[in-house]
Amino acid sequence: MRFFTPGAAKASIKFRMPTAENLVPIRLDIDVDGNRFKDAFTWNPSDPDSEVTNFAKRTVKDLKLPSTFVAHISQSIQNQLSEFHSFEGQEMQIKEKIVPIKIDLRVNNTVIRDQFLWDISNLESDPEEFARTFCKDMDIGDPEVGPAIAVSIREQLYEIVTQSVSSARETRIGKKGRRASDTLTNSKAGITMDLGKLFGSKGSVVRKRKEWYLYEPIVDILSNEEVGALDAREELNARLKRKLDEKDESFQTRYSHG
Amino acid sequence: MLKELLSGAMETTQPAASAPAPAPVPASSQTFTPSSAKSADPPHLLQTPSVSSTKSEGMVAEPRDPPSSASLHPPEPSSSAGPSHASSSYVITIPSCSGWFSWDQIHNTERRILPEFFDGKSASKNSEVYKYYRDFIIRRFRVNPTRKITLTDVRRELVGDIGSIRRVFDFLEEWGLINYTPLAKPKVWETKRYVEKWILLVCLNPPRQDGNEGHTYPYFVEFGCKQADIILCARCFVRGDYRPGLSSTDFRRLNITEETKTDWTDKETLHLLEAILHYGEEWKKVAEHVGTRSEIDCIARFIKLPFGEQFLGPEGSINGNPHKEKDEMTTKSIEDNALEQGSPKRMRLTPLADASNPIMAQVSFLSAVVGSNVAQAAAQAAVSALPKVEIASGFTVNDEKLHSAADGAKEEDSPAVDQQAYSEILSVAAAEAQAKLETEQKDVERYISDIVQVQMKEIQDKIIHFEELEYLLEKERLQLRHMKDLLFEDQLTYLQHNTRPISKGAEGQNTKSNNHVP
Repeated sequence: MRFFTPGAAKASIKFRMPTAENLVPIRLDIDVDGNRFKDAFTWNPSDPDSEVTNFAKRTVKDLKLPSTFVAHISQSIQNQLSEFHSFEGQEMQIKEKIVPIKIDLRVNNTVIRDQFLWDISNLESDPEEFARTFCKDMDIGDPEVGPAIAVSIREQLYEIVTQSVSSARETRIGKKGRRASDTLTNSKAGITMDLGKLFGSKGSVVRKRKEWYLYEPIVDILSNEEVGALDAREELNARLKRKLDEKDESFQTRYSHG
Repeated sequence: MLKELLSGAMETTQPAASAPAPAPVPASSQTFTPSSAKSADPPHLLQTPSVSSTKSEGMVAEPRDPPSSASLHPPEPSSSAGPSHASSSYVITIPSCSGWFSWDQIHNTERRILPEFFDGKSASKNSEVYKYYRDFIIRRFRVNPTRKITLTDVRRELVGDIGSIRRVFDFLEEWGLINYTPLAKPKVWETKRYVEKWILLVCLNPPRQDGNEGHTYPYFVEFGCKQADIILCARCFVRGDYRPGLSSTDFRRLNITEETKTDWTDKETLHLLEAILHYGEEWKKVAEHVGTRSEIDCIARFIKLPFGEQFLGPEGSINGNPHKEKDEMTTKSIEDNALEQGSPKRMRLTPLADASNPIMAQVSFLSAVVGSNVAQAAAQAAVSALPKVEIASGFTVNDEKLHSAADGAKEEDSPAVDQQAYSEILSVAAAEAQAKLETEQKDVERYISDIVQVQMKEIQDKIIHFEELEYLLEKERLQLRHMKDLLFEDQLTYLQHNTRPISKGAEGQNTKSNNHVP
């Protein structure tokens, strides 16, 4: 058992997901010839690489996608996994112990919005458990919601820990780095909770009533038309974004040579 | 492949009434009518002893742990794992090898094959999580058993990492707990009748050679062409694999006759048994030995044989040479008789007489001549006589019997010969079993004594430890006493010093009083 005194908020440990199971969130968004495939799930990075190709083949077969997807899927998963592996072995410093996690998802007909505090330094935390309990407590009928919540939590945790790694890297670079890392973590990781204020002598552990609405989970069931409308809007946004990205790229290539 | 046939045949050729009575179950409830094949006749071939071969395909019945009390069904001896009605979606069938499954429990098989959930290495992978995955997947499948569920369906709805979900899914699929519809299996196993018919049709002829490509085929439909004098198997015909000059119209369909569901004659059964003993599981050789039956027939027949009662093990082949010599005498005498008897029997005998084993020939002839009833009686007599015959002296008794058989009349020959041959086999088997039993017992005894020794050592160590403690305590006590004495001394001197300056006259009194201080 490790005991952290409140003062020593910095703990330097090897990079890993701050959860009981060191699982990586994977998000797929592949568009081939107009066929769009979106998916998100959790992957165990210690699974062998053969699993990736097997999984890709199986998914394509099960969903009857064109076989060109196999390569794309495998590659996307591999990229994300290798990114994860590149962080491994490095030190990370977990400064803020309690971070807010926000859930804002739409899964089929269900919209979920929630916000809660998560203890990063608790390496035994379990987003899957949370997702399961959430769905059970909120009586969510659609079974696809659970995995989506778990993946969303993991993604946010992943982002936080990767930033603490990069900050650790920058502290090693130079003296100024420490200060820079402070500002970085404070700005990028979103609102950090000042523990002292919350649990200090004046504060109490019980949340103020006026803040309750912020932390209440909201689960909405949409009708099919609303779903259709939202889907269409998302598609449009995605297409616009892609066009903008392409423009950016062409802009860069054009002017980088110049 | 043969193992699958074997297991498939075993499941579907249970002689008693067909499928389990399907209790029409409303789709919403979760009960099911699994069927367990109580293999009353366990051909040792099927029950492979290797428990470690967990990935065995098909439906080989693994040695099952005793069914848990939470199991939902009483084992029905006559039921098989065959489908009840193909169209019904309310009945859920699972193969017999998965009969251990129950909603409330996690079976050892599951623990063995998916240890990641049970070894406690990861906090979030435990048996509840496993149960949650397993129950979810199976329930989802059973909502619509006619449709196979895919991993993708399932993993999208299960919270957890893909790898673990995939492993649970694969495990369930392999063991037929999901996606197991006998419809999905090759048509051969669809109904019991069909299977029987198939096997029997195949039985009628030895594997035929295809005229076109030379491969053997057991099918019961073939196509003959008059002009070219070729017989094709159905597959080649359909595919069009014949030489260019011919067309499909030139072929005429020849159906192998279906009427005769030939029972195995005793001759053939004896052949079969002897061959099996000799060759083990090499069905090819067994089929050769039997001669008139194909491999599949032999397998099917062997499975159907009720062991022990009627037909005992094959005779003759393990007797070894010394007996062969003696038997030849009898063989000769009997063959002479056979010649006398006339041509029809001789004709029947010829294939058998050519069999590699002269004893086999003799015995089969005898049983054929004498008739199955007498042979049965002889066998039963042998079985009952066996316990009286000592194992060690079994062979000598057999020798005598052989001699007596050689001298005696023909009618007496067959029972005696059969009897002693049968009893020999049994005695040898019994001896082996006995030996094994003894070694087992010895092992057990040894283990027990080891355990006892270890425990004794433990106790001894404890005793030593306590002795040391006692010693230490004793020392401490002595020390304590010593210190008490010192303290007393100090008290005395202190008091003496105190009382001296007060009054020298009262010294005597003080010393007196001091002396009274304990």
